[in-house]
Order: sequence, then structure tokens, then C-alpha cells
Amino acid sequence: MWWKTLIFVAMSVVIVFSFVTPAPQPQIGEASRIFYYHIPLAWICVIAFAMSMVYSIRYLKTRNIAEDDKAAEVARLGLIFCALATVTGSIFAKVTWGSFWNWDPRETSIFVLLLLYGAYFALRGAIEGEEKKAALAAAYAIFAFITVPFLIFVMPRVVPSLHPNESVVNKEMQFTMGVTVRWIFAASLVCFTLIFLWIFNLARRVSVIRRAQMEREQ
Amino acid sequence: MDGNYVTMVVTLVVWVGLFIFLVRLDKKVKRLEEKLK
Repeated sequence: MWWKTLIFVAMSVVIVFSFVTPAPQPQIGEASRIFYYHIPLAWICVIAFAMSMVYSIRYLKTRNIAEDDKAAEVARLGLIFCALATVTGSIFAKVTWGSFWNWDPRETSIFVLLLLYGAYFALRGAIEGEEKKAALAAAYAIFAFITVPFLIFVMPRVVPSLHPNESVVNKEMQFTMGVTVRWIFAASLVCFTLIFLWIFNLARRVSVIRRAQMEREQ
Repeated sequence: MDGNYVTMVVTLVVWVGLFIFLVRLDKKVKRLEEKLK
């Protein structure tokens, strides 16, 4: 229970500090405070899809259906966090550029990502037979993740974009943030990651219970 | 600045709600796991 209390206190402190300290990017203004939430959400989306690929590889190696369950659960969470990153990004876009959606390279990338992982669940829903579904979904998850680094890190930097590209580090890989902003951002990143791992742990345990009940009923 | 405080309170309320939901869900899952044993 102590770690839950720690997450609760840490996240509450992050929320308070993200609003009472000066805006992280004064040239953008108050809207830049969303940076403390938007970037961690996008970060978790990448971690979740990477974990989905790892569990998919493990499924293909071991043919253990529990690994496929974990891959599906973590991809589902990744999709939810990806949608939240899209929504927070759209709010920022509305305030700074005047429109919720501009087909900016980063917006297009995240839209493609949503479609890719939406298709993952469409594929899972369309195939009958547990093993066939798991094998095809695992292969799809591996190929889908190959596009993630390109869509998130490469494409938005190659094509001219409205999106602030040097919010965290510049081209020389040096921090562009002040010390206070850096600490709040790092704490936010850690808190969001811990919350994600907690939710994933719950989702994984629920899938184990569901599978055990299904086996009992058969 | 007032707007910031309103947003902060709303965010805190959402966070407290999510935290309580997760704690309760955790307890429920634990109960179900014990039932299955």
C-alpha cells in the first residue's frame, strides 16, 4: 500500500507545482503547462506499444496464451494513452494555433498510430480460434511497432512542423528547460509511468481471472 | 492566475477520483483472485 500512497502524494505535488510555478515556455504562455501532461502521455503510449511487441515476441517463442493476453492488454492501454495524448495535443493546438486539428506532421503521425493499433484490435476481433488469433496479432504487433519510432521521432523532425520540437532537448541533445521545469517534468514522467504500470498490472490480473473462469466453464 | 487555480482544482479532483477508482478496483481484483484459489 505504501507505494500507492507515494504515487498519490507525488502526483498531487506534480499537479500543484505544474500550475503554481511559471509557465514552462513563456513565449507560448499558460497553454504550455499542458506539456507536463501531454508529453508523459505520448511517452507511455510508446512504452506500451514497445511492451506489446515484447510480449508478442514472447508469445511467438513460447506459444503461452498468457503472453498474448498481456500483449493485448498493454496495447489497449497504449491506445487509450495515445488517444489522451491526441486530445491534450488538440487542446494545445486550439489555444496556440486556433484550430483543434491542423494535419501537422506530428498530428498526422499520432493519427496513423491510432489507426494502426485500432486495426490491431479489429484484427483480433475478426479472427476466430485462439491460437490463430494470437499468432497473427503477435506478428502484426511486431510489425506495427517498427513504424512507431519513425512516426513519433523521425517523421515530425524531417517534415516542417508547427509543433514545438525543442521543448525537452535541442538538436545538440542539451536540455532546453529550466531547473524547476525539468524537475516537475521528470516527476510527472515517473508518476505517469508508475500509474500506467499499476493499471497494466490490474488489467493483466483481470485477464488471468477471466481466462481461469472461461476454463472452468468449459 | 485564477483560471490556473480552477484548472488545478479540477485536475486534482479528477486525479483523486481516478486514484480511488484504482484502489477499489485493486481490492476487488484481489478478492476475485482469492475466490479463484
